[in-house]
Formats: sequence, structure tokens, C-alpha cells
Amino acid sequence: MKSILMFLLIFQALALGSAQDKVTLTGSSTIAPMVSDFGKAFEANHPGIRIDVQSGGSGRGITDARQGLADLGMVSRSAKDDEKDLKFFTIALDGVCIILNKANKLESLSEQQVIDIYTGKITNWKEIGGKDAKITVVNKAEGRSTLELFTHHFKLKNSDIKASVVIGDNQQGIKTVAGNPNAIGYVSVGSAEYDSKHGVKIKLLPMKGVLASTENILNRTFPLSRPLNLVAKSEPEGVVKEFLQFVLSKDANAIIKDQFFVPLAK
Amino acid sequence: MNKKPQLQDRFLTLLVYGSVISVSWVLFLVLFDICVTGGGSLNLEFLFSEPTSAGRTGGIAPILMSTLFILLITMMVSLPLGLGSAILLSEFSSEEKLFGRLVRRSLDVLAGVPSICFGLFGNAFFCKRLGLGFSILSGGLTLACMVLPILIRSTEEGFRSVPKEYRLSAAALGLSRISTLWHLLLPAAIPGFLVGFVLGVGRALAETAALIFTSGYVDRFPRSLMDSGRALSIHIYDLSMNISGGDENAYRSAFVLVVLLLVINFSASWVSERWLKRKIVLS
Repeated sequence: MKSILMFLLIFQALALGSAQDKVTLTGSSTIAPMVSDFGKAFEANHPGIRIDVQSGGSGRGITDARQGLADLGMVSRSAKDDEKDLKFFTIALDGVCIILNKANKLESLSEQQVIDIYTGKITNWKEIGGKDAKITVVNKAEGRSTLELFTHHFKLKNSDIKASVVIGDNQQGIKTVAGNPNAIGYVSVGSAEYDSKHGVKIKLLPMKGVLASTENILNRTFPLSRPLNLVAKSEPEGVVKEFLQFVLSKDANAIIKDQFFVPLAK
Repeated sequence: MNKKPQLQDRFLTLLVYGSVISVSWVLFLVLFDICVTGGGSLNLEFLFSEPTSAGRTGGIAPILMSTLFILLITMMVSLPLGLGSAILLSEFSSEEKLFGRLVRRSLDVLAGVPSICFGLFGNAFFCKRLGLGFSILSGGLTLACMVLPILIRSTEEGFRSVPKEYRLSAAALGLSRISTLWHLLLPAAIPGFLVGFVLGVGRALAETAALIFTSGYVDRFPRSLMDSGRALSIHIYDLSMNISGGDENAYRSAFVLVVLLLVINFSASWVSERWLKRKIVLS
């Protein structure tokens, strides 16, 4: 009992001493791992400053930044019309591509075919030249920015989509498609490119004849791409500003590439 | 004996064995998969270094530390509360009275509430209302709320399984209720308490949904209980679901989690056995 009390006292003392400069970021689970790494690199050069990263989705990034719960929000899409009150800083680019299982013999799909598959008008691969098998449509869960990017591009409403499987994250989508020869899904190009190069059984479909690759995202020819943003309520100051400057500088490029995103700073 | 019941007997035996084998087969597969994929490449450095490159490389030292602190808070809060409530329910309220029935029913409902609801509650109450923010403390308290129903119910069962004669004999010998409780009932109820503890630890260690909103995502060494700290299960989830190329370390972390769980379970039963022996010798 005594030792527990001692322990609590020590912790309390530590807690009182920790009221220092802290930058809090919340939002997109796509961006969170990358910003965690930015945070570590930044902390190494700025002793005494802590960068706290919490995930939870782009929607939460917007809400928390607006309410001041977070210094910066992480949002993996471009600004919507009612979000013009916030300041958006694009830190990197990401692309979304359609993926099929490697065993599928189709090499490309037209935009109309993708729309028809996702709205349930085409339900069997043989209707578009594949084998006779039912299509497993993999869709993202509501609130995911990949879903928003996908539906926005194909002018679909999520309620129109007839999904067989609903998944949360990129890796889950890749695993689902890799494990089911009749599945179709959409995920981040960076993740898909890395996994397909490392032997995961998926193939990335070109969009409008443009190959799905990080290269084509950077030269902005790939149609289905999205910016990864940090958002702030007002012009950042102090430590937050310093952190933002670091993230936007080319010192951060190595970390961005590490997460299979495409850096902008040259 | 005629032939028919024999056949039926054999069929039933087969059915029982079949279900036992299929259940243990699943456990074996899970453990085998985790041990081979995760345990084979595990080294000490993984346990004692910090994660780098979003967890793809490096170790899990800060995450392990946060996990243990969260667990410590959960248990420090829930064990005394759970024990107290169980004593009240089993010893000081009758099974038929409305109060006891109401409490028991609400505990059962609470035990069935999905963990994401506890997460949202913890986020709204501990993080925002009480102003604890994303912290190990919020996470531990949220988990305590989650673990309490299981702990109370199984401890109560432990107390109820003690024969009524114990209490009567103690009363006949003129022992006070407190010393009956301390010297007689508590040691005898330890097995039930232990089951609750082990289930509680298991549920707490396995939890992701309740923790992502309360103790958070920060994978640094926590400097105080008010710091956000990532739990092992969240780390595994993040590595396998959000990070390309994180599978290898996800498996290693899962292996560490399983070993941690086994170590805690075994030491809990070892401690209770020793304690039980001493108690019986003394009284």
C-alpha cells in the first residue's frame, strides 16, 4: 500500500512539472503515422517540446481544429465549401486507385464500369469480360476520406453503393482484395504500390489510361488523387508555426516518402 | 443392452470430443501463428527500444510502459471497488430483494455494452468533462468501468460458492462479521475473485476501441499519468491496419501481448495459491 502511495506521489510530481509547450494534432488516420514521425524528428531538435498526435478521422481533425481542441487538424482531402474559415496547408499528396486480385484477368475498367459495379448494375465479372463469378464489392466505412474522394470522383452517393464488404483502413482493404479473387476495392496508391511490389496478390488499375503510381500523382496526371492537409483555425504562431515550417520544408521529404506518400517541397 | 442406445452414446461422445477438439484447435492455431511469425524473430532489443518509422522498425518500449501503466490504474481502481461491491451483493443483500436484483441486472447489462460505447463515454466524461484530456489516467479509468461488472459478478459468485455452514459456524463461535469475512470468506472466495481478475486483465489488455478515444495514440515514453500513451493493442491495430509494411512488427507485438497475458495469469494464480495456504494455516 505504501509503495503504491509513493508511486502516485512521484507521478503527481511529474505531472505538475510537465506543463510545457505541447502541440496537439488530431484527425485523419491516414496522416497520423506520418505526423507522429514528423513529431519525433522535430522533438529531437527542439528539446522540451512535445508533439502529441491522436487519430480519429478527417472529420474529427476539422472539428477539433475549429473548436481549438487541437492546434492543428489532419485532413486527408481538399477543403469543402463550409470549411473556408480554416487555413489549409498541404503537406503531401496521396492517390486512390482501384485494386483487383492478381488472379483477375481484367487489366482495366472504364469509369462507367466502375460506377456500374459499385451501384450494383454489374454483379458478375463475366458481364465485362471476366470469368463467371460474383463480384465482391469492397467499400470503405462512412467518414473515411478515401470514400469521400472515391464517391466525389465518380459522382456517387454512398447510399447508392451496393457493397458486399465494408472496411475501415487501407491495409484492411488490401488484405480483403488479396484474399478474394473476385473482389474489387479502392485504396491509397502509396500503400497499394508498396504491397504489390512486396508480393501481395493485388493489381493496381490505371485510371483514364494513366498508370496508378506515385510518379503520376506528383505530376498531377493521375485523376484520383488527394492532398494531405494540416488545418488551423488561425495563422499558426510560436511552436506550432515552427512545426508547420518543418513539415513543409524539404527536410520532411524523407519521412513523407517513408509513408508512401508524395512530397511537394523541392 | 440393445444396440440403439449404444450407438447414441457413441454419437454423443463423438460430438463432445469433436467440439472440444475444434475449440482447442482454434486456440492452437492462433497461438501457433503468433508464436511462429512473431516469436521467432523477437529479440530483447525490440522490447527495449522506441518505435521508429511509424512502428515499422524499432521496438515497443514506450508502448509496453504505457500499457502497463494503464493496466495498473485499471486494476488499482477496479479491484477494491469490485471486491467491495461483491461483498455487499453477496453478504449484505439478499438475492430476492429489489436492490440486489437491480444492481445485478444493471451490472449484467453493463458487461454486455460494446467497448466502443465505453470509449465514447470515457472520452466525453474523463477526457472532456473532468478535463483529464487524452491521458493514461483517462484510459485506465475508462477500462476500470469496463472491467468492473465482470470482476464484481465473478467475485460475487466466489462468495456465494462458500457453504452457508461456514458463516453459521463462525457466528456460533462468536466471530464478528468482519473477522468472518477477513479470515474465512475472503480466502475461500479467492478463486472466484481470481477468475474475475484474469478475465478483467484479459479484457483490458485486449481493448482497442475504448482506448483510442481516451489514452490515445502517442507512442512516446509517458512522463506522467496525464500524458497520452498508446496501448499495445492499439499499436497492433495501427500497424496491421494503417501502416504498409507494419505486419512483421504487428506480429511481434501480438506475441509480446500474449506472453504478457500468460505471465499475468500465471503469477495471479501463483500468488493466490500462496496466499490461500497461508490463510488456512493461520486460521
